[in-house]
Amino acid sequence: MSQQAYTLRQLNLMVRDAIEAELSDEYWVQAELSECRENRGHCYMELIEKDEQSNTPIARASAKCWKTTWNVVRPHFERTTGQPLHAGMKVLLRVYPQFHEAYGFSWIVTDIDPTYTIGDLARRRQEIIVKLKQEGVFDLQRELCLPLFCQRIAVISSETAAGYGDFCRQLEENDYGFRFSVTLFPAIMQGEQVEQSIIFALNQIYSASSNLPPLGETFGASGPPPNGGDEKGAFDCVVIIRGGGATTDLSGFDTLALAENVAQFPIPVITGIGHDRDESILDMVAHQRVKTPTAAAALLIDNLKRVADRIADARQRIPTLAIHVITDHLHRLELLQNRLPVAIERRLTVQRHRLENLSIQLQGYDPQRLLSRGYSITLYNGRTVRDASQLKPGDEIETRVEKGSFKSIIK
Amino acid sequence: MNENLKYEEALAQLETIVRKMEDGEYNIDEIAAQLKDAQRLIKFCQDKLTKTEEELLKIQAERN
Repeated sequence: MSQQAYTLRQLNLMVRDAIEAELSDEYWVQAELSECRENRGHCYMELIEKDEQSNTPIARASAKCWKTTWNVVRPHFERTTGQPLHAGMKVLLRVYPQFHEAYGFSWIVTDIDPTYTIGDLARRRQEIIVKLKQEGVFDLQRELCLPLFCQRIAVISSETAAGYGDFCRQLEENDYGFRFSVTLFPAIMQGEQVEQSIIFALNQIYSASSNLPPLGETFGASGPPPNGGDEKGAFDCVVIIRGGGATTDLSGFDTLALAENVAQFPIPVITGIGHDRDESILDMVAHQRVKTPTAAAALLIDNLKRVADRIADARQRIPTLAIHVITDHLHRLELLQNRLPVAIERRLTVQRHRLENLSIQLQGYDPQRLLSRGYSITLYNGRTVRDASQLKPGDEIETRVEKGSFKSIIK
Repeated sequence: MNENLKYEEALAQLETIVRKMEDGEYNIDEIAAQLKDAQRLIKFCQDKLTKTEEELLKIQAERN
């Protein structure tokens, strides 16, 4: 049988010709990146389309962006979206097809429209925000209060970040001589691992705050933290900072799991992850957000300064107020003291009057008063004679007059 | 009088005596004794206040 067989190369070249003939234009295509890596200045991507319901892939293809294009497209994309191309991102690419007999099929990328990605990111952010609100956790952090003496600070940052150094220096060199105890919980602050890494650090802080021995370097042998390590936990607040890195990739701070963890964290979380464009979701759920690590330190110093001012103010006012209290009481005593003699005098006067009235009443019964008006009293055997028939002739009676008395015999 | 008496208790006792005195609730026989009590309470309260005031002034002086 002399059936003609092609070599693979011949057949592939036919495919190549067919594609070049039939699909000679460039096309805009929407796709999700399932992989994205740079090699020798070229960018290699894996594109995927998923079924909206089942999320299973229904189309796949490789795509390449050659160095010369990539060098132009990448800075524009990163400047506009604020983050590099990475897996999971939705992109709008201008492509033309290429079938290479040796390397197979690929879409060659000639342009990327970042506004599509921005729209997609915004939509996803919005979905996360809506979810957080539905869960009722979106505002939880803002319902917390920074403690008055907020001095035991748990920092989540990358150890080598310039921002962490700035933060520590700023706290250390505050103008008021306040002392802070800073404990670092190292975390990766950019790229894909941000979410997991920060959540891990938060869990460490949580454990350290739940009556377990603190993990950080500041405590331990050097004695208790400034507040005496009360039962409320080892830390007064958490500060998440980054800074010093060249990249503006903040996509790691926009995830649901991270937002949920921060929002429900039991002590206030302050963010200083520095960026100019929209707030990240992490910022939105945080207790307070500032732009830079330095600003985070300034916030903590200000908080303590306000407390110190209140103390100074109280210290100023208390002695005067105390003297006022004493003076008021002395006055009150004086008033009480003055009421006593008045009350007693009134009481005695009433009694005197009663006595006087009694004595006047008694005077009315005094027989001497009758005698002095010319009446006399007759006595027989020492008793007053009220009835003449009681007497018989020969009885001796005594008669009392105003002055003296005399005796007589009844006839 | 009880030395451990609190200022507020002393003041309350004193106010009671004054009120009863004004309302004529004491017998004449009691008045003198009650007056004596009242005066002791007044002295007690004044002493407390004066002592506290002196302490306050001393603390203030130490601060300045």
